[in-house]
Amino acid sequence: MLRTTLAKVLNGAQFSPKNIAVITRAASDQAAKKPEKIEVFIDDIPVKVEPGTTVLQAAAMVGVEIPRFCYHERLAVAGNCRMCLVEVEKSPKPVAACAMPVMKGWRIKTDSELTKKAREGIMEFLLVNHPLDCPICDQGGECDLQDQSMAFGSDRSRFTDIDHSGKRAVEDKDIGPLIKTIMTRCIHCTRCIRFASEVAGVDDLGTTGRGNDMQVGTYVEKMFLSELSGNVIDLCPVGALTSKPYSFTARPWEIRKIDSIDVLDAVGSNIVVSTRTGEVMRIMPRVNEEINEEWLSDKSRFSYDGLKRQRLVTPMLRDSKGELKPVDWEVALLTVAKQLKNAGPSVGAIAGGFADAEVLVAVKDLLNKLGSEALCTEHTFPLDGSGTDLRSSYLLNNKIAGAEEADFVLLIGTNPRLEAPLLNSRLRKGYVHNELEVALIGPKVDLSYKYVHLGDSPSVLEQLVNGQHQISKKLTSAKKPLIIIGSEVLERPDGGAILSAVQKLCAATNPQTENWKVLNVLHKVASQVAALDIGYTPGVDKIRELSPKILLLLGADEGSIDKSDLSKDTFIIYLGHHGDNGAAVADAILPGAAYTEKQATYVNTEGRAQQTLTAVSPPGRAREDWKIIRALSEIIGATLPYDNLNEIRNRLDEVAPHLTRYGTAENANFFKQAEALSKSVKSQIDKTPFDVKLKELQDYFMTDSISRASPTMAKCVQAVIKQKQSKY
Amino acid sequence: MAGNLFRIIKLTKNQPGFLVATTNNVSIALYSGPPPGTPPPQTKTKFGPLADEDRVFTNLYGRHDWRLKGAMKRGDWYKTKEILLKGADWIINEVKTSGLRGRGGAGFPTGMKWSFMNKPGDGRPKYLVVNADEGEPGTCKDREIMRHDPHKLVEGCLIAGRAIGAKAAYIYIRGEFYNEASNMQVAIAEAYQAGFLGKNACGSGYDFDVFMHRGAGAYICGEETALIESIEGKQGKPRLKPPFPADVGVFGCPTTVNNVETIAVSPTICRRSGSWFASFGRTRNSGTKLFNISGHVNTPCTVEEEMSIPLKELIEVHGGGVQGGWDNLLAIIPGGSSTPLIPKKVCEDVLMDFDGLVAAQTSLGTAAIIVMNKQTDIVKAIARLIMFYKHESCGQCTPCREGVAWMNKMIYRFVDGNAKPEEIDMLWEISKQIEGHSICALADGAAWPVQGLIRHFRPELEERMRRFNEQKVRASN
Amino acid sequence: MAQPLKKSLKQVKPILSLDKEEARKRVLHLYKAWFRQLPYIVRRYDIPKNVEQCRSKLREEFTKYDDIKDVRVIDMMIIKGQMELKETVNVWKQKGHIMAYFKDTIEPKPTDFLSKFLTSKD
Repeated sequence: MLRTTLAKVLNGAQFSPKNIAVITRAASDQAAKKPEKIEVFIDDIPVKVEPGTTVLQAAAMVGVEIPRFCYHERLAVAGNCRMCLVEVEKSPKPVAACAMPVMKGWRIKTDSELTKKAREGIMEFLLVNHPLDCPICDQGGECDLQDQSMAFGSDRSRFTDIDHSGKRAVEDKDIGPLIKTIMTRCIHCTRCIRFASEVAGVDDLGTTGRGNDMQVGTYVEKMFLSELSGNVIDLCPVGALTSKPYSFTARPWEIRKIDSIDVLDAVGSNIVVSTRTGEVMRIMPRVNEEINEEWLSDKSRFSYDGLKRQRLVTPMLRDSKGELKPVDWEVALLTVAKQLKNAGPSVGAIAGGFADAEVLVAVKDLLNKLGSEALCTEHTFPLDGSGTDLRSSYLLNNKIAGAEEADFVLLIGTNPRLEAPLLNSRLRKGYVHNELEVALIGPKVDLSYKYVHLGDSPSVLEQLVNGQHQISKKLTSAKKPLIIIGSEVLERPDGGAILSAVQKLCAATNPQTENWKVLNVLHKVASQVAALDIGYTPGVDKIRELSPKILLLLGADEGSIDKSDLSKDTFIIYLGHHGDNGAAVADAILPGAAYTEKQATYVNTEGRAQQTLTAVSPPGRAREDWKIIRALSEIIGATLPYDNLNEIRNRLDEVAPHLTRYGTAENANFFKQAEALSKSVKSQIDKTPFDVKLKELQDYFMTDSISRASPTMAKCVQAVIKQKQSKY
Repeated sequence: MAGNLFRIIKLTKNQPGFLVATTNNVSIALYSGPPPGTPPPQTKTKFGPLADEDRVFTNLYGRHDWRLKGAMKRGDWYKTKEILLKGADWIINEVKTSGLRGRGGAGFPTGMKWSFMNKPGDGRPKYLVVNADEGEPGTCKDREIMRHDPHKLVEGCLIAGRAIGAKAAYIYIRGEFYNEASNMQVAIAEAYQAGFLGKNACGSGYDFDVFMHRGAGAYICGEETALIESIEGKQGKPRLKPPFPADVGVFGCPTTVNNVETIAVSPTICRRSGSWFASFGRTRNSGTKLFNISGHVNTPCTVEEEMSIPLKELIEVHGGGVQGGWDNLLAIIPGGSSTPLIPKKVCEDVLMDFDGLVAAQTSLGTAAIIVMNKQTDIVKAIARLIMFYKHESCGQCTPCREGVAWMNKMIYRFVDGNAKPEEIDMLWEISKQIEGHSICALADGAAWPVQGLIRHFRPELEERMRRFNEQKVRASN
Repeated sequence: MAQPLKKSLKQVKPILSLDKEEARKRVLHLYKAWFRQLPYIVRRYDIPKNVEQCRSKLREEFTKYDDIKDVRVIDMMIIKGQMELKETVNVWKQKGHIMAYFKDTIEPKPTDFLSKFLTSKD
């Protein structure tokens, strides 16, 4: 897609509906400068609107909803379904409400005879070639076409041609393992095409053919190669694009919907978990303008089938032959407790990517009671300078939504497209609508928009700090500069030096906006920020040094530590929900609950606390994580003082009050102090080039214990590899 | 198709936002006061035939040299520099005085259209786009111009470009016009070589380029915004309006799209004055016009005639009369395939101009007259036209994509009579449901022939259905 | 206060027995009836108890209420006891109903955290 900004800057293009429709924060800024409003009448209700508002938006302001198929707030206006036609007084033809900017004094009639007739006509045309297969259509029950034909369609059919020629049939397309296409149902609204080219930045979808033979597809048969592809399922107003894994498994009226939070990346997207008969049937996004708008990345949407496979459903103990044997909770807890008692203070814990704040606090309290401080996270973060003492050095300080306002973004050692697809979609939005310029230090990857690649050498960073790089001027002159550093480069041995260099670089910028935070750290796992907030030590070095007698793995599956790092008789307890790397090395397994099975707190990379809700109960004998720790504490005689969720939430509140302020992102402070402390870092950045793990799309799908257990994700990897080999 | 998609019926009512927004003052100037653009009071009562010295296109039949030398002999490129030096306002005034209306079909006053481009600039270049995507069935006037008088168009581009302050002109030519495109290209090259185009065109100090863009043969690309999309290299699908091309046109810049004939007559208007041009035809329908006469006439032809010439006279004088005599006439499509047909009794005294044909519930369109005598299967003829529109629909918006295909299915059943009489009303309603509900006017162009057929030949349709059902009953017995 | 109470007691309509003695007889009668049926009950319901155990249970059930002095209450309990007997003898009950006399089938809810955790009753 072309960048629309060129036209926007130029006068006269302001009336272009393509610019009006897409909600950008910049647009709202612009609107603030133009206070003069024009008055129009919607069904005789007067309303004052900004010039350039479309009829549809004006109607929405007074609560009149105009039916639509092709129009979508977050996409460019196409105006091709014609469902939104409304009568305007003194105009003989009805106008398309989604595209027509209102003029002063217009009287718009959304309920007149002409409007009704136009809608009925369009509805009839849409249904002429739409198959009557609602009973076997997965969209049935949540289908825009169904709903609107009920509300606005004619009450009887006059489709006499059914006796002569029948309806159009279109061949289905294979666009990958996630999206099922039934193209006969397509009403050619082109929402999917616009989403692909505007939001996802992948021009894979388009139309071929003309007139009645027009088809939406991929030109040649190929996979829709995007990490956001699942969103076209939500966008499709009919059942032409449906979810392949979900197909024919449940109907919308028989599922329960539970609001929750996604934990497969550090963005913390808001989701709705649909369940039936104690099983997760599907996951869909929930609108949150601050985080994910209304999109969701494919891994978060489709890896739910991993929640049913490779699960730990019963406590297990390793017997004398070295095999893990299922045991009762009593036995497991007593055995573990005996070991703990023998070990004394020689206990360590490592928190993995899915650990919630409750269990993190419970484990910390327990180990502290036992006299140990060896609490670590699996993912490292430099401890030089201010380390993790000041929150500002490890948060995405400027927030996810703030990314689209930036005018210059420097990415260091990160591939946001795969590490945080929804942050990347914000950056792309800024690029398309807001003249955002992006530069990247790190391996060359496809970010779905153009950027300046500065190479992957750390020396570029040094040049930037010294102000000698050709891009330095841009960085210092930018009004809203943003530096996003991937947590992965900070895991390097010289991470401290890198962070300190970046902090220096941030101090050299001149943001013109109040409260604009230049330094942003992008984490990869959902637990990291909460763990650091609670006071875990990043990295497992401490465990290596101590080599404790007992090691508790809180879902640590990334293999950051293995048996060779520990003494031979170390007793490893694994507390988690998937039989993955961590469980394989464990001597005792305590089965925990996955994120859909517990009410738990997670803090995303911006420092925003959010809670998941229990959608289904944990499988088998699995229990909520913090309760396992609480039970264990009682058995070893160091009872933790909380018995239920409220009490542990009170404890969370004591530890860090922001952990229970759900929905709000607690701002970090002390940037200056952090920067000052960073000057004390004396170590040098070494010469190894910056690298990221996730480079290509096939790397994206299986990154953690849930997605590794998901057959759908495995299919995706296969499909992407196959597609990459294809000549198209 | 150029412009059959925008025609006068619609113009008066169909662009509300635009007219309200921009024409309030202009239209007053046009229709009330004495300044340029005021049509002379109607005094003439007899129109046509056109005298030879009043013809604009003097090489319409290719009897003379079409290249630069021949064209200059016929008066093209004569004192073009002086015209250019008189300035944009003078040219626009002259065109306004002439009362020239767009020759592509919609009949929008050309002078007014050009004056929209004279708004203060914002740094963007302006463009002139010439619509040479002549695809309307029955229409073959632009073809003749580009074949035999290409220099008229090239010179016209320069003058029109000067009037609107354009940087360059794009001639979007229909892909099937191979020879025409090659002649045009030669003419453009000749003009460049002679210094008439390019930097300091004609020595006037004005820089102007002409580019030619060959289409790939889609009728819809004759719709102005689809044409713009096509020039930009996208699928030829009409854009939403507003914004109009005068605001956001080709490559996002202000653009005027004109028909070939409109552009090609403008140099002659400037040379022989607007009032000369205005002396032909009725008030507000002034000028000369190329008429294409095809179908059941003895001598099908393209001819330049005065506007407002009676249809019967046009056919008798230039078309050599209807095959089998005037009484053998069944119906005439007066303005290209998208205009509703008129039966013989209307044809007797209708005048061939914008207002005259609107009064007869049809439209001048491109003035391509398709004559059908009584041996025509009128239903099949209209059905064939609908099939054309079905095939050429771009498929972007619902009424056109679904509706025209549906009409096509129905009308082909009507050809055999395989339908119930109440389906005629249904077809009428469907055509009304399509008309005015789509993004561009292609769907309207598909709906009107059907409406014309039902309006004038309903008994014929009912008769066919009766016969078909009788036959069916007989066969089943 | 005592006066009207006495009066009202006098006005009460008897259910079965007119005085204590009659009620006592009825109780003994019911007890005997049960006592005689016990061997058959044990056999028919195939319960894992012998007649001796049942007899002691019978005695236990009767003596459980030996503090009841109100004739009307005694009468009502006799009626209930007879209904119970009839249901039992006619095998309108099932094994579990008989065994319910011996052991409460509902387990008490756990109250402390650990037992809740182990029984997953939270």
